[in-house]
Amino acid sequence: MKPVSFEYNTPASLSLTTDLLVRTKKDAKLISGGQSLGPMLNLRLARPELLIDISKLSELKEIGEDKSKVIIGASITHSTIEDGGVVEPISGMLRYVASRIAYRAVRNKGTIGGSLAHADPAADWVTTMMALSAVIKTRTSDGIIRKIPMHDFMLGAYRTALKHDEIISSIEIPKYSKKACWGYHKICRKVGEFANAIGAIVVDPVQKYCIIACGAVGGAPLILQDLSESVARSAAVPDILEIVLALETSEQQFDAVKMQQLAVSVQRAIEKAVCK
Amino acid sequence: MKQEISLTVNGEDHTLIVTSRTQLAELLRNELDLTGTHLGCEQGVCGACTVLIDGKPARSCITFAGSCHGIKVETIEGFQNDDVMDRLKEAFSKHHALQCGFCTPGMLATARDIVERFTSPDTEKIRYELSGNLCRCTGYVGIVAAIADVIEQQIALGISLSAPTIDVPEQKSGFAPFEPSSTTRAKPANITLQKSGKVSANGNQTIVERGFSIDHKPEVVWQHFRDLKSLGKCVPGAVIDNVDNDRFEGHVEVRFGPIKADFRGSGTHTNNDMNKSGSVIGRGADKGGQSNLEGQLNYIIGKGETPESSKIDVEFKFEIQGMLAQFNRPELVTGLVDYILEQFVQNCNSVLSGNEIKPGQGISAFALVVAIVRAKIATWFKSN
Ligand SMILES: Cc1cc2nc3c(=O)[nH]c(=O)nc-3n(C[C@H](O)[C@H](O)[C@H](O)COP(=O)(O)OP(=O)(O)OC[C@H]3O[C@@H](n4cnc5c(N)ncnc54)[C@H](O)[C@@H]3O)c2cc1C
Ligand code: FES
Ligand code: FES
Repeated sequence: MKPVSFEYNTPASLSLTTDLLVRTKKDAKLISGGQSLGPMLNLRLARPELLIDISKLSELKEIGEDKSKVIIGASITHSTIEDGGVVEPISGMLRYVASRIAYRAVRNKGTIGGSLAHADPAADWVTTMMALSAVIKTRTSDGIIRKIPMHDFMLGAYRTALKHDEIISSIEIPKYSKKACWGYHKICRKVGEFANAIGAIVVDPVQKYCIIACGAVGGAPLILQDLSESVARSAAVPDILEIVLALETSEQQFDAVKMQQLAVSVQRAIEKAVCK
Repeated sequence: MKQEISLTVNGEDHTLIVTSRTQLAELLRNELDLTGTHLGCEQGVCGACTVLIDGKPARSCITFAGSCHGIKVETIEGFQNDDVMDRLKEAFSKHHALQCGFCTPGMLATARDIVERFTSPDTEKIRYELSGNLCRCTGYVGIVAAIADVIEQQIALGISLSAPTIDVPEQKSGFAPFEPSSTTRAKPANITLQKSGKVSANGNQTIVERGFSIDHKPEVVWQHFRDLKSLGKCVPGAVIDNVDNDRFEGHVEVRFGPIKADFRGSGTHTNNDMNKSGSVIGRGADKGGQSNLEGQLNYIIGKGETPESSKIDVEFKFEIQGMLAQFNRPELVTGLVDYILEQFVQNCNSVLSGNEIKPGQGISAFALVVAIVRAKIATWFKSN
């Protein structure tokens, strides 16, 4: 199917983009890689009057680091990350996750900022950034810069803390020590599909940090706080029952199959981090 | 909207006036008569439309003309004097890697990228990389063999990769137990609505049962629920246009993330004053999105924990047809319905306390819509 008719605008700077978002009377949508919005447009599930292309803005393509964090611009593509184009906050994790998102042709266009803004519960970056305690840096039309911790950023399925004139400019990820380990396990029926379940763990014995996140749930990924603490203390793989109990305290309802998939993905992620 | 764009296709420069919404695939096929690029799913899934944009494979079905100014495209008709593509074409023929050829132009674009990025003819890796290109008739054995063959030829010829893939570093694992610092504690999720109830399915119908409380007396809440205009105001995105006895007409705007739909329709509203229960039955259609919604909301109002509050039990049954029909992700429905309920309860409390409702943003059915897109995608694989 063909999308509805829309205007297409490519502003030359970030401030012109936010200005346009505020000024326009049209129903406007930002478009970055278009890999989530594109299918919606073709299906006419999204029917914007104006698309504002932000994929070419150099302000959103920053790649950098300082002592304590790695900075990734919102318009950096999955394939740039897959190819090692950004500094790793923890050895190899971003590259591993990026290489398992969709397919290369989609990764060549899809961006990390677009994925987080889209806030699909089953998206890979959403869970990964939760486990890494990333911070989302944004800018609004009046130039206000916000730094929103990932666990405050995603409010629910496809809902974020972004205001209508607010754009994600970059993602800041704390650097972890050389002793830090991680595990990531995605369950899907076919390579490149959105996940049925995602388990992710980041452990840093030096920073005394351990977060286990579980994605592809009803809303934002769950952080299994008590389980994280017990894994830090034991450095062992918990049994499935313990993980199921941890998931049950989340107040979300899962059917038996879903629960099993979630628990197994978490267990396999922990196995990867724990096993010597 | 029409706009002028200049782009290079297969080495030739073109300046065209096109509508911004035109898919690159359509532009190639309809404007430039390059019909080798095929369209299958138009959702980025099947890979039939894959072409090289600025040297890298990309989906031409979800690339819109508005973004094509200044790009370089290579389609199956191109690849002139391209040794890798020549070897691939020959190998595809030799290994019987095509029958009808529908998937082949996209397959070759992806295959060329695989050959350029990988040094070893590892078939498991090739299959992995090929997962975004579906072939519905030949099967993958010949295709994989053809690609492996070309990688071997390249190695034998001593050709180095133009875009070598750097191997992902070995993952570190194993740590000594430690006491986690409390500063790494994430904030617990902010739950405003105490949830109870369940979600189930009956054929194509989804049934959500929920209980919640409102900070007003049952009599007051009941008057509010029996008055459809007043009740309708509290449903995010809904507008009741006409009420005629128990019949009503109205519409509900569904808006969430990039999705917008406007369901227009009619229904009935009946109430039983004896036990403070009632139901709203309605059906509506979203013309632009070609979907239909049919639903029933049953409610019963009882005493709350304090004399000043009420407990409301609702049962919401609905069925969606058309574009949104293949909806089957219970955990998403739960999230969606709870989000709507949360707003609904807030709105009821405001109205009953004599306050204004914040302008509604529409029901967040986006979750639902994406589930359907995914389900559609899943059907693609099933039929494969
Ligand atoms: C076939 C297929 C399979 C896929 N499989 C997976 C998968 O397995 N895992 C996965 O994680 N993803 C998957 N995806 C989605 C893909 O990763 C997308 O690239 C990503 O979700 C969105 O990024 P984008 O740059 O394309 O965003 P767009 O589609 O351009 O935009 C998405 C939304 O974000 C908004 N937006 C974009 N950038 C910004 C910004 N900087 N600030 C504020 N708002 C912004 C847009 O307005 C839009 O609403 C798949 C996609 C396809 C087509
Ligand atoms: S038509 Fe583009 S991926 Fe299917
Ligand atoms: S050759 Fe027919 S679909 Fe692949």
